[in-house]
Amino acid sequence: MKKNRNVGIIGIGQTRHSSHREDVNQPEMIHEAITLALEDAKMTMDNVDCIVHGNMELFEMIHQPDMWHVISDGAYGKPGLRLTTGGTTGATLVCGADTLVASGLHDVVLAVGFEKLQEGHTTGGITNMADPLWGRELQTGALTGMTADAVIEEFGEKRAKHAAMKMRVIMDKHAMLNPLAHRRFGFTDDMIPTMIDNVPPLVGELRIVHMCSQSDGACAMIFASEEVAKKRCPNPAWVMDHITIHREETFNLFGNVEEMTTMRYAAKKLFERNGITNPRKQIDVFEMYDPSSWWGLDWIREFLLLEGDEHLKMVEDEEIAINGSFPINPSGGVVATNPIGATAMIRVAEAALQIRGMAGEHQVKKDVNLALASGFGGTLWTVLVLLSKNPPKLTEK
Amino acid sequence: MTMTEETNVKQNLIVLRQILEIPQHFSTGPIMGRFLKELRDNKRIMANRCPKCGRFHLPPREVCAICRARSGEFIEVGPEGVIQSYDLVYYASPDPLTGQARQAPYTTVNVLLDGVQGKDTLWHLLNETDPAKIRRGLRVRAVFNEERTGSIFDIKYFDIIDNK
Repeated sequence: MKKNRNVGIIGIGQTRHSSHREDVNQPEMIHEAITLALEDAKMTMDNVDCIVHGNMELFEMIHQPDMWHVISDGAYGKPGLRLTTGGTTGATLVCGADTLVASGLHDVVLAVGFEKLQEGHTTGGITNMADPLWGRELQTGALTGMTADAVIEEFGEKRAKHAAMKMRVIMDKHAMLNPLAHRRFGFTDDMIPTMIDNVPPLVGELRIVHMCSQSDGACAMIFASEEVAKKRCPNPAWVMDHITIHREETFNLFGNVEEMTTMRYAAKKLFERNGITNPRKQIDVFEMYDPSSWWGLDWIREFLLLEGDEHLKMVEDEEIAINGSFPINPSGGVVATNPIGATAMIRVAEAALQIRGMAGEHQVKKDVNLALASGFGGTLWTVLVLLSKNPPKLTEK
Repeated sequence: MTMTEETNVKQNLIVLRQILEIPQHFSTGPIMGRFLKELRDNKRIMANRCPKCGRFHLPPREVCAICRARSGEFIEVGPEGVIQSYDLVYYASPDPLTGQARQAPYTTVNVLLDGVQGKDTLWHLLNETDPAKIRRGLRVRAVFNEERTGSIFDIKYFDIIDNK
């Protein structure tokens, strides 16, 4: 990607995520995240040039919530943007903030994503994304068992079901290390056989623990130009590149789609232009938007450009565990924590914390020089963000 | 009471509860409108075709987004076809317009209708919720409603026709 100048992530703040944040209203909740991000960056709102704000309006049914939230995000009298791209919103906020700083338009940009899913209805809200002339009567939010069916068909019922539940248990073990995570069950490996058959199904073989949570929470991040970042922060995470891929009419093509997925396409493009020929070796940690353990499992193969059953082996051999060779979601991922407008930003924030060595108990043991984060949303959009420990060389890509 | 004592008193926080009901009406336009009219008046399922790449659109669309070409002729397809994928839904999600919970379980299917060139499947309901009786590749047939209004439910559902 062509860039005028480098952009560093120098401030990160997250609320505690929970199914019920009835102790605070929306502005109060996002204020918590913003305060923490400013503290991390050792800044006040006086240092911030522009605010980028986002969530998915269909959930809380509040249009232009940024106008209400101006009392808590410091945006009054400052330039601001509101971005809302469904599930990818949080990652799009990152791309927007990065672009504003990289372009030279602003030196310091604060991005904030949030959702209070408890204040609306998540599945009802997502169902509204469907074509009102046809699909709205049929869609069940983001719930589908089709990926489970496909994985089962390819690898057999026993192996597929075990791998998906194993992935779920690994994610929960990670969430147990993250005090901000919403769902922390304390699952252990010996529970897997019982869970496979006894957890209530939502759609087909997609069971309630496989699916991401409905959370209340917010995430804020501060992006600064290289000059400001180096002056203010001893350990910024640098935005190396990002890519957004979407395509038309995915839902009509749902029947046996053979086209390249947006995940594989995005990864291929991003890796090519950043000299990544062996993602499993070159990337140190991956924060993946895993809306369910079936999708998460399937997408390991897509994002890492693998073939055959390599992705299943990575789960079965615990390579994706926090101490494994390719840690995925040391934070616990989206199946643990999902305030949707913040979710994809949390992926980038967690990847940045790993680079900065600030992830606390869920910090991976190895050195993190390169981290990948993904965002996912309707209709099967993919955003990928690549972060580095060292400022990237500014060359035309 | 001092300030500190005052702030230490537990406050009962008020939560406001509301239910939204929003009457909406959507224009269908000439292309989707013709599709719905054919369902209503003639019990026919009509796809339209991209003049460049030849693939069918179902439901019909104004343009082929891949070729950026205005879609051409309407062609009757179905009413029989093959299940390409399905979802057996146990979760009673709400109708997003009324807030009323849907009756669960129900099954949604993507049907590749006879005569379709390309991969566009028609998304609808399947009249079967026993997982043992549903699988990909089964032949199904559209069952039309007696009373038709020009909507998705002019087709009642799809019936499995070869599940022996």
